[in-house]
Amino acid sequence: MTVLSSADTDAMVARAKQGDPAALEALYRAYGTSVYNLARRICRTSEDAEDVLQETFFEVCRSIRTFRGDGSVWGWIRSVASSKALMRLRRNKYRATDELDDEIAPARQTSPALRMDLETALARLSDTARAVVWLHDVEGYTHEEIAAQMGRTPSFSKSQLARAHQRLRVWLGDAVLN
Amino acid sequence: MTHLSMDQLLAVRDGDRSEPHFGEAHVHVLACAACRQEVDSLHQRTARLRAMPMLAPSRDHFGAISARWRTAVRQRRMRTLSTVGVAAAAMLLLSVVGTDLLQPPALDAEQQLATSITRSQELEAELHEWNPEQRIVDGRTAQLVIVIENRIADVDGRLQDAARLEQQARLERQVELWRERVGLMNALVDVHVTKASNVDL
Repeated sequence: MTVLSSADTDAMVARAKQGDPAALEALYRAYGTSVYNLARRICRTSEDAEDVLQETFFEVCRSIRTFRGDGSVWGWIRSVASSKALMRLRRNKYRATDELDDEIAPARQTSPALRMDLETALARLSDTARAVVWLHDVEGYTHEEIAAQMGRTPSFSKSQLARAHQRLRVWLGDAVLN
Repeated sequence: MTHLSMDQLLAVRDGDRSEPHFGEAHVHVLACAACRQEVDSLHQRTARLRAMPMLAPSRDHFGAISARWRTAVRQRRMRTLSTVGVAAAAMLLLSVVGTDLLQPPALDAEQQLATSITRSQELEAELHEWNPEQRIVDGRTAQLVIVIENRIADVDGRLQDAARLEQQARLERQVELWRERVGLMNALVDVHVTKASNVDL
C-alpha cells in the first residue's frame, strides 16, 4: 500500500468526492493492491479476486460521496472489499467443497507426511474458515464485525476460527498438544 | 492434566474476556508449559500469516472501472435529465399560461429558456445517435469526458434546486443553467466527434 500523509489523503478524498477522476485513480493506485491481496486471500481464484477488486473500486467511485470521514479511508475501502469478497463466496456456493474439506481433514491430520507450507494450508481451509482467519488474524476485524458481514453470529465466527487453527496446527506440523 | 481447547487458547491469545472461564484458562496457561507453547505457536502462526507476501493483480483494472463508472454516471444523468426536462417544460407552460392571464409576459427569457432546452435535447439526441458507449477513446479523452459529464450532472442538480425558487428568480436561473448545459453538451459532442475523426485519420 502506498503510504500517504494524512493531509494528502484528506485532499485526495475531498477531490474524489467531487468526482475528480484523477483523485479516484489515485485512490485505486494507493489501495488497489491491498484490496486485491485481501480479496485473493479470501477468494479461491485470482479471477474472483480481480472481479472483487473491480467491484470494490466501482463501489468506491459510486459511493465516495457518502464516506463521512469518521474513520480512515482505507478502513472504509477495506470494509467494502471484504463485503464484496464474502458476497462472492456466497455467490459461488462453495459449500459443497467446504463439506468435502471437513470430511477429509481428519484423515490428513494423521499423516505427518502431509505437512504443508502456510500458503497451501490456507488454501486447503474451507472458504468460510479461510475468510474468518484472514479477517480476524490479519485484518484485525472482531468476531462481531465478521459476524455482521457474514450474516452469522459471533459464536459462529469464533468456532470457525478455532476449527481453522486446529487444522492449521496439524497441517503445518506445529502441534504441541495431541 | 486437562489441557485447554482451541477456543480457550485463542481466547487467551486474544485476551478475549467474553469467553467463559477466561480467567481459569489464563491461570492454566501460566502453569502449563504445553498450553503456553500452544499459545506461543498461535502468536507465531498469526505473525507468519501477516508476513505472507503481498499478491498483486495480473493487470491494471482502473480503465475498466473508470469506463463502467462513466457509463453509470451517464445513465444517471439521462434519468435526471428526463425528470428535469419534464419539470422544466411544465414550469414553462405554467409560466406562459400564468403570465398571459395575469401580467405582460417576460417573453424574452421564456423564449431563451425554450430555445436552450430544445438545443440541449437536440445535442443529447445527437450524442445518443453517436453511441459513444460503442466507441473506443484514449485515456485522456475518457478523463475529459468524465469531467464534462460531472459538470453536466452538477448543472442538472442545480436545475432541480432552481425549481424551488420564486417564479421570476427561477426563470432567470433556469435560463442561465440551461445555457451552461448547452455549452457543456456542445463540448461533450465535440470531444466525442473530434476524437473519432482523429481515429479515422
